[in-house]
Amino acid sequence: MNQVNPLHIGALLLVVIMFLFFKLSGVKEELVDAKVSFGTSEKLAIDLQALKSVYANKKKSKISINRILAQSSIRAAKLILKRDKNSIRISSASIDTRTLNSLMGKILNGSYNIVALDIKKLNETKASLKMEIKW
Amino acid sequence: MFTRFKHTTNVLFLDAKSSDFAYEKGKKVDIILSPRMYWVKKMTLPVSSVREVKKLLPSLFEDSLPAAHYSYTAYKSGEEFLLFAYEDKKVFELLADKDISSADIASIRFAQSEFDSLENALSINAQESMYKDDGLLVLVPTTWVKESQVMALENLKLSKHTIKLQQFGHIVDKKSLYKIGAILVVLALILLVEIFVASSKLSGIEQAKEALFSKYKLQATMMQNRSTYTKYSKIYERETKLRAAIALFLSMPLQANQKITHLQYKSKKLFVVISGVTQASIQPLLSKLQANKLKYTTAHQGTGMKVEVSL
Repeated sequence: MNQVNPLHIGALLLVVIMFLFFKLSGVKEELVDAKVSFGTSEKLAIDLQALKSVYANKKKSKISINRILAQSSIRAAKLILKRDKNSIRISSASIDTRTLNSLMGKILNGSYNIVALDIKKLNETKASLKMEIKW
Repeated sequence: MFTRFKHTTNVLFLDAKSSDFAYEKGKKVDIILSPRMYWVKKMTLPVSSVREVKKLLPSLFEDSLPAAHYSYTAYKSGEEFLLFAYEDKKVFELLADKDISSADIASIRFAQSEFDSLENALSINAQESMYKDDGLLVLVPTTWVKESQVMALENLKLSKHTIKLQQFGHIVDKKSLYKIGAILVVLALILLVEIFVASSKLSGIEQAKEALFSKYKLQATMMQNRSTYTKYSKIYERETKLRAAIALFLSMPLQANQKITHLQYKSKKLFVVISGVTQASIQPLLSKLQANKLKYTTAHQGTGMKVEVSL
């Protein structure tokens, strides 16, 4: 014969509903944050991949530089090449300005990480060159 | 084996005007309500089930009861239906008045169902007796009946017809209560479904993020990835600025006697030496640098000018 007061049941249901409301608002907030975070991550991932493909692809950079240096006009300039694990140093005490123009045109139009450059005019047809490219 | 059929509870006859009953606190009791506590009708109805009859009860009693909050019940007796109306509140008040704890109540029944086979009158107190008139149990003054027996409840065989009192029926209508309860439950279910859907979406996004990391071969944490991104984007900006600055110097409107004799880039700074530049001819060159919003400083070096550009 002991019966539960319906008002108590109603109050309990209201408390449950309030709890669910809070829980829902928390989950929805998390969802909005997760969507924003995903959008940011996606943009970062795409940009990072593009940058890495240019500046972090050692193999690609090496092949590309070697291809430029292997061209007959540039090879004829007998450039001094010093290669190490992370960079290449290209230098010449005297290089023909036409060859220099050709070389610099190709280097500057490519996506190389030039960390040092020094070009000094020696006379109307000759110049000296020191350049370091990292990858 | 025979003890199985003995009452394990006490049986009490509850009447507002009788005080002579054996109630022990803590022991379960079966309550029999006196005819004074309810209204009863015996009717033949064109329906077959008790459930159908119960729907009709409020309208069947509508005109014969004084205004109050009633509960209704019915059961079939032969070809006829016995219909009851009672006030839960009044019964509770009487139970409280008699100091009977609701925790001790095993069942509540009507005298009508428990004394169905009554042949003689039974006295319920000093002045009143009950007897069956046309199948219905009624209360009459004892002086009206020829012979009235003393009520003996010990060996009474109880029927299966019991009622459940609505303790809070007078506070809120049962139907309204169910409706409100149903609405609240539905609301709670909707919220649960919403939470489930949002959680599923959340886990979907988490999975998509994991797939993104795997697809783009990202590092384990976003902090590491941001750091790598910053490193490469700085290189990209610097290299872009370097190429733009070199292109700017190479496209400068130099006079015939003006030549770029030295071009040097180190420590994020570009140094350019232009020979044959005088104070009079310097302005067009500086204007071009200013137009391209470059941070620069100039210094005269022999017959030329040295320009230092910060990238």
